[in-house]
Amino acid sequence: MKTINTAANVQTRRQRLKEWVSLPGGFGIITGISMFLTIVLIGVIHPFISAYEPDEFVGESFQPPSWQHPFGLDQLGRDVMTRTFAAVPADIGVAFLGVSIPLVIGTLIGILLGLAKNKYFVSLVSSIIDGINAFPLLIIAIAMISFLGPGLYNVVIILTIMNWARYARIARTKAVVVLQQNYIEAAQLMGYSKKRIIFKHVTPNVSSESLAYALSDFILVIIIVSGLSFLGLAARPPAAEWGAMIADGRTYLGDAWWITIFPGVALCWSAIALSFIVEGLSRRDKGN
Amino acid sequence: MLIRITPGDPAATRLGAGAELEAIEALRKQLKLDVSPIEQFLSYASGLFRGDLGVSLVTDVEVLEVIRNTLPLTLTYIFLSVFFAFLISIPISTLVGWSNKASVVYLFRGITSVIIATPNFFIAMIGILLFSVRREWAPVFGYVNDFPENLKYLWLPVSINTLILVAIISRVLQSSIVDTKGEEFVETGIIRGVSRPRFFLFYILKPSMAPTVVLLSYMMGIMLGATVILETIFSLPGIGRELVGAVLASDYPMVQGILLFFGVITVFLSFIGDLCAYALDRRVKL
Repeated sequence: MKTINTAANVQTRRQRLKEWVSLPGGFGIITGISMFLTIVLIGVIHPFISAYEPDEFVGESFQPPSWQHPFGLDQLGRDVMTRTFAAVPADIGVAFLGVSIPLVIGTLIGILLGLAKNKYFVSLVSSIIDGINAFPLLIIAIAMISFLGPGLYNVVIILTIMNWARYARIARTKAVVVLQQNYIEAAQLMGYSKKRIIFKHVTPNVSSESLAYALSDFILVIIIVSGLSFLGLAARPPAAEWGAMIADGRTYLGDAWWITIFPGVALCWSAIALSFIVEGLSRRDKGN
Repeated sequence: MLIRITPGDPAATRLGAGAELEAIEALRKQLKLDVSPIEQFLSYASGLFRGDLGVSLVTDVEVLEVIRNTLPLTLTYIFLSVFFAFLISIPISTLVGWSNKASVVYLFRGITSVIIATPNFFIAMIGILLFSVRREWAPVFGYVNDFPENLKYLWLPVSINTLILVAIISRVLQSSIVDTKGEEFVETGIIRGVSRPRFFLFYILKPSMAPTVVLLSYMMGIMLGATVILETIFSLPGIGRELVGAVLASDYPMVQGILLFFGVITVFLSFIGDLCAYALDRRVKL
């Protein structure tokens, strides 16, 4: 009896999943999520099962891909596969920090701005937000690196300083709408504290749009982190990071394409996975 | 302004490691780095009004002079890419927007989102690998400042930039064409029997262009970023490569001058973009 029950459960769950996938955009979302989880999982598991260290010299330089070294060896005789996978925390991890910190800070500022009553204060902060948003991110990041100095943590700091403004803008627009809803008034009449209303009633309703933007921002931030490293402004040479590795291999492109191509493919893989998710979600949202 | 209060001493960088302390101090005096940051800022701001952006700390050339020398190439490069991008994306997005086939639209959106998600420096690497290393159709890097000669150096970077722009522009244009298709005046145009070219040009394209042109300022940000990276890769002597070089050498006046210039360009172009959008579609509010 029990087994039949579970089987029926599995069946319905599978059916539900099938139904969910068959909705518009489902295929893109599933493909994107599985692609992204694959690279993250590899990045997490890899240090435990890899035969080499990312900075270890394991053989003669410029060995082409072989069974022993599937991605070949680079100009210093380091295993390109180990380095490519060891770069996951440097790229996706840093990009995740660079998206989530501004997301939290920006959304909170946006909500508080939506609550604020003082007209001059609101217009002052709004114009600061617009001013920050007007600048091209990569250019301003390059400029700020010139006084913070190169480094991945500095990139996170720069992204926090620059990117909160976009989230604040989105959150403020939504918060103004949410605050006029009846359920907020109801919560106020129930005598809930301001803190509770902000965190339990306003934030969940505001954050859906911020999260949607955060996902597409993730792509941009991954590209910016690796682009800055490519220019030699974020991760410094011995570190395993996709952009820096591509820059490393650039000189030897003619003789040793594998040094450049494999980190590049990993980088594209993650960015494309995210863009499939974004694309699928937007199609689902539109319903076609 | 903040750039002044930074670690990294340009005087020391310029003399190289192993320079004597007295020599560094002397150079700091000569470059006026020994006065307080506030004084430095005031003298910079007053110079700004006289059109003086200062002098490079590394090469002693005036910043304005460097911008004047490097800007034409960057502008040529950007305008060529934007021109070709519009030339290619207008027919593509009109065709995709007009055909109602789901498979065509999915394919189009899939390909463009892959192009947008691929970092431009990686596209450039693949381009170099295919066209410079394997085929020798383009030089790997470098530039010659003569008219027919320079096309040989420019075509690969320009086409890479165009490819990325086509993906961005055609996506926006396509979705805007789909919106336009639902408007009543399009139906009126069909019923009145307007000739085909006139119909597509004035009834479909003209109103659909407005959102694309408004994007110009957003595209400008992307373009400037792409220029910095692509100029560095292909060693084109443009303003973007100058910026990266200045940052790496902590040449503050240079970084400040170029940034200020980029800011002015961005603001100016977004204003032009808004004006064009208004000219194309009078329903757009300025």
